[in-house]
Amino acid sequence: MQLTRRHTLAPDVLAALLCAAPGDAPDVTTRLRDPLFARLAASLGPSAPERLDAYSLDHEGARRFSSPFAWSARASRRAIGTAAARHAAATATSPLDAAREEVERLCDRALRGLARRGALSTWLAGAPREVRATCAVEAASWATRLLHLVEPLGAHPLAVGVPDAYVSVPATRISLVGRRDVAGTGPRPGLLRVRDGAPPGSAADGLCVDGLVAALATGSAPARAIGAWPDAGIVLIVELDGEALCHAARCLVGAASASGPRARSDVVTLAA
Amino acid sequence: MTTAVLAPTDDLVAALRGTAALRPDVDRGLAGGLRAWLEDGLFERLGDVGPAPVVVTSRSVADLPTSERSSARLRGALVASLLRLHVAGCPLEDPYAAAVAATCASGRDGDLAVALAELDADEAARLAAEVAAHHAVLSERLGSLPARWSPRCGARLAIPLAGGAVVLRGTVDLALGAPGGSRACVCLLDVTTSRHVDGTATALSYLALLETLRAGEPPLRVASLSTATGEARVCDVTPVLLAGAVEAVLGSLAGTRCS
Repeated sequence: MQLTRRHTLAPDVLAALLCAAPGDAPDVTTRLRDPLFARLAASLGPSAPERLDAYSLDHEGARRFSSPFAWSARASRRAIGTAAARHAAATATSPLDAAREEVERLCDRALRGLARRGALSTWLAGAPREVRATCAVEAASWATRLLHLVEPLGAHPLAVGVPDAYVSVPATRISLVGRRDVAGTGPRPGLLRVRDGAPPGSAADGLCVDGLVAALATGSAPARAIGAWPDAGIVLIVELDGEALCHAARCLVGAASASGPRARSDVVTLAA
Repeated sequence: MTTAVLAPTDDLVAALRGTAALRPDVDRGLAGGLRAWLEDGLFERLGDVGPAPVVVTSRSVADLPTSERSSARLRGALVASLLRLHVAGCPLEDPYAAAVAATCASGRDGDLAVALAELDADEAARLAAEVAAHHAVLSERLGSLPARWSPRCGARLAIPLAGGAVVLRGTVDLALGAPGGSRACVCLLDVTTSRHVDGTATALSYLALLETLRAGEPPLRVASLSTATGEARVCDVTPVLLAGAVEAVLGSLAGTRCS
């Protein structure tokens, strides 16, 4: 697995990395999908989480929340902030104004009866004005941080605020989730995802997982997965070759088996 | 280190942002040199890395007193929420109620939300009066913050060094300006509900160092606003200031050794 660690990257360099396409995409769909799904289904125990993602690797497959999920400014900032970043990038609006508009749009959606119970829109519409304002500022801080990393309208066009990749594992209740905040353009674009704090020990594994899930969702592996930790000023770049994708599959099975019966560590065999 | 102490009548935001034409060019080589200096110094002081990271904070570097009083922590969290609401331009009729609502919905510091709920009427009234006074100072000193300055709140910086054996942590209450230009324009503001003390300037230089290591370029200025007194201190970020911060970090680790 080829891993590069950088302290900072200029936005144009990052954009070039997201848009460059080295080599052919590994044939993930036919060679990795079925053995991975079979092993995941066999590895899951009764306490298995309903989603597996890079976060699961940091927490050995533990459930994400110790208490029932509740919306908060922190929980909502990426959802609102990503939309705000997309809007700000497209219209040259400031991220704060874009975040305010997004909060208003979500509230309006709920008031018109278009949001389901428990959705972010519903929570925002019922929250006091001060809470909505706090959510807008948190989201704007998130969006600003994202837009300081990349130049969406630079020489290399980027898609900001792309949806996460989701893949359902057949015969289970489990979803694989690949997080991504920015995608490059071109025949084999890379993906960028942003996280808080400093990279954990499993950061490179998590990037491989994000790349693998994106590959499973689209049928084509991204050229590379780039993780940015703006709070730490660190960027990790993983080239998503066959070895990296196989490694991701092993990590996912390991995280799944950590919550249930143990599986063999060499569960997925695929030549790089 | 030159620290300007602003009187309560001076315009803090104007002092922080300064005149655009007079801002210095960005020295992009500085961050790498500071990081190397820190890494070398840490290796000399800490030797082999241990399993548990040594966490360095503003308080440990600047030798600032740590308040154990829950009321002080509550006050600080509520004023931090008021800062967010001020940045959002949210008009407040009852600062305390607004700050409590925002803090409880923040998704951070769940223990503080519990502590707020457990306050009796007298404690809540006392805290409300304090928070209202701090809010008045905050509003007066900061004025209106245009959205085009890219305000962002509550960034929790965490810079790992020595292979993760040491983590420099700090919170930037408010950052203004975008990095990446040819001239420095990022300004950092630390809001404290305590009075300024001797170590405040060192704490500010430490925050400037964290931002330099994080962004790869030094910020323009760093400031501290005491909502207890209305006093503000503003420092221009220079190589000398950052060098002082490196020495302060290394000095704070003297005698520390990873096990």
